[in-house]
Amino acid sequence: MSMLEVKNIYKSYGTLEVLKGISFTMEKHETKVIIGTSGTGKSTLLKCINQLDPPDKGKVWLEGQEITNPKIDINKIRQKIGFVFQDFNLFNHLTALKNVSIGLEKVKKIEKEQAQDRAIKELQRVGLKKQAHQYPAQLSGGQKQRVGIARALAMDPSIILFDEPTSALDPELIGDVLDVMKSLAGEVAMLVVTHEMGFARNVADEIIFMEGGVIVENGPPKQMFQNPKIERTKQFLGKISTLYGKE
Amino acid sequence: MKKEMKAISMVLIISVVSLAVVLSGCTEEEKKNKIIVGTEALFPPFEYVDEDGEITGFDIEMVTAILTDLGYEVEIKDMAFQQLIGAVQTGIIDVIAAGMTITDERLEQISFSIPYYTSDQSVLVKSDSTITITNYSDFADLTLGAQTGTTGALWVEEHLMNDTWLKEQNINYTLNITLDTYVSYTDAVQDLRIGRIDAVIIDNPVGNAFAEEGATKVIYVISTNESFGLGVKKENTELLQKIDQALEDYMATEEWNNLVLKYFE
Amino acid sequence: MAIDIVLDSFPQLMKGLAVTIGLTLTSVFFASILAIIMAIGRSYSRQPIPFLILIYEKIFRGIPLLVLFILIYFGLAQAGIIIDVFIAAVIGLALHSTAYQIQIFRSAINSIPEGQFTAARSVGMSNFKAMRHIIIPQMLRLSIPGWSNEFTIVLKDTSITIAIGVIDLMRQGRYIIVREPESALYILLFIALIYFILVFSINRGLSYLEKRYIISGLEVNNTR
Repeated sequence: MSMLEVKNIYKSYGTLEVLKGISFTMEKHETKVIIGTSGTGKSTLLKCINQLDPPDKGKVWLEGQEITNPKIDINKIRQKIGFVFQDFNLFNHLTALKNVSIGLEKVKKIEKEQAQDRAIKELQRVGLKKQAHQYPAQLSGGQKQRVGIARALAMDPSIILFDEPTSALDPELIGDVLDVMKSLAGEVAMLVVTHEMGFARNVADEIIFMEGGVIVENGPPKQMFQNPKIERTKQFLGKISTLYGKE
Repeated sequence: MKKEMKAISMVLIISVVSLAVVLSGCTEEEKKNKIIVGTEALFPPFEYVDEDGEITGFDIEMVTAILTDLGYEVEIKDMAFQQLIGAVQTGIIDVIAAGMTITDERLEQISFSIPYYTSDQSVLVKSDSTITITNYSDFADLTLGAQTGTTGALWVEEHLMNDTWLKEQNINYTLNITLDTYVSYTDAVQDLRIGRIDAVIIDNPVGNAFAEEGATKVIYVISTNESFGLGVKKENTELLQKIDQALEDYMATEEWNNLVLKYFE
Repeated sequence: MAIDIVLDSFPQLMKGLAVTIGLTLTSVFFASILAIIMAIGRSYSRQPIPFLILIYEKIFRGIPLLVLFILIYFGLAQAGIIIDVFIAAVIGLALHSTAYQIQIFRSAINSIPEGQFTAARSVGMSNFKAMRHIIIPQMLRLSIPGWSNEFTIVLKDTSITIAIGVIDLMRQGRYIIVREPESALYILLFIALIYFILVFSINRGLSYLEKRYIISGLEVNNTR
């Protein structure tokens, strides 16, 4: 069975149906990027996966367990699904170090010293060891996001969900974050919603193009960018390509 | 998380239970032998707090003497004068000993013992005041002060400010008196000192006590013939009978005479 | 000499001071605990809990403290429960202060971005853990300025308890004034000085708290 299986997800907000039957799978260490116009439910899909906003219909399996089942201990499951937010959502009253270690200490019940050691390692991994004792308010956007990634990594997740991780960043800071994400490719499964086509093209194992609440097309980057099967995909990516310049 | 919820509910339950125990522990102590006497210790020489922090005074010594003779343990509780009647009615105190005048109004709410002291109201002014009172019309245009709910205040309202009564005294015009009432007459005397009011209407013995201090003087005594009594709850007829008898006996003793001399010579 | 009287009365006044401080500390302690629970309840629980808490706030902000004391002291007595005036005073002060403190804590909660809770949950924290480790610590830090202000307000409100006969600093002062009217001014000035020192020290102490715990960038600004 695949590591992550998403089957027939439907989600509505009031009368507006945002997700109209989304299905796909992911294997361990895969990187998949979801692209599409804004407001097509991409973020909603991510929240449906980790049950922060459960779907109306449809099921999700993680490592063989059906996590959409209400009887399941969702808090335990969430330890395996990392989440990186567009607005970072770092814990304001904690240092960068504590931000990363608190999940280990309070959720995984790891001893403080061990947790701290692990946290330092993760911060090092994202290039922020020096900022360990600074507070979020003292960090730049890019640094905050990298701490967010370290925080997700520390929990040893099977997969990390990225919800437009660079959309709130100044252009010059985007690079550092994307570099970190690139370094993770292949080590942990990543499902990334983003507008960063460069990243999609270079790092993704598969690109999923969503529009109108459905998956229009999906496939490896080469195919999607150069030989999309669906006209709409061609349109969308064609426009984007001209925006970014053909590589 | 379930464990934590359990822990919190335990803490809450324990707190509520202990609070209930503490509260109930405070009710009805061995009431058989203990009498709680309520007063406002701001009324020398009847009741006040001495240098050692003890509540004492004419009323206090008297009521302690007769109650102890009756075999009771006496506890004195101090509170605001205005709360005394409510307190005796609800059982917070058993007896009121607070220089309280027996009035028809108060008799509707509580019972009084036989009178143990008669008093008049004095008009207290500053030592250097030029006000003189020879008859009631001399009160015209004055600003008077008195403690809220006292017979002094009541007297001013029902007489000096009452046109019908004034007519009976052959005064056919309003005296244009302003009456300021105070939570405590000590505040009234303060205002008197700084000149905000012209005179304070206050029970004679207390007025005299103040006048002795030197800054004030009594210029007139209004004969009101008030009597002080000890107050008890209406339903407490048994206690009242005991107190009346004890009081009567006490007032015939040498001890009583000495007490009067001590405080009122 | 009038000043000698002030010095002689020092022990009595200190007794009254102890009562005043005792009242303040006890009331604020209970009120804070209650208020934190109710503020969280108001922000995070399902109806009808928030509604009930709102009613509580309206009631206890609407009743004057003096009336509350009398209601508690005499009301309970009528029901057959006679309690010590000190306890009645603490209950009154606490119930009253709680109503105001709920506002303070709620304001703090509202300043915490929604994402904090979401992020906590996404790391695998239960609602309870999220509240305990992420929301409440931030709420407390944000509440410090408002809370310290409330502390001094309660301190000053304690003088109202003389109405039911609590022998606090104010009442001790009155005993002395009645016995020695000449000293009135000095006694009152002295008492005012004591209150001033108390308020000043409290503010200083809480200022220190503020400096230690307020984190740059964390302010009450009602972003929710």
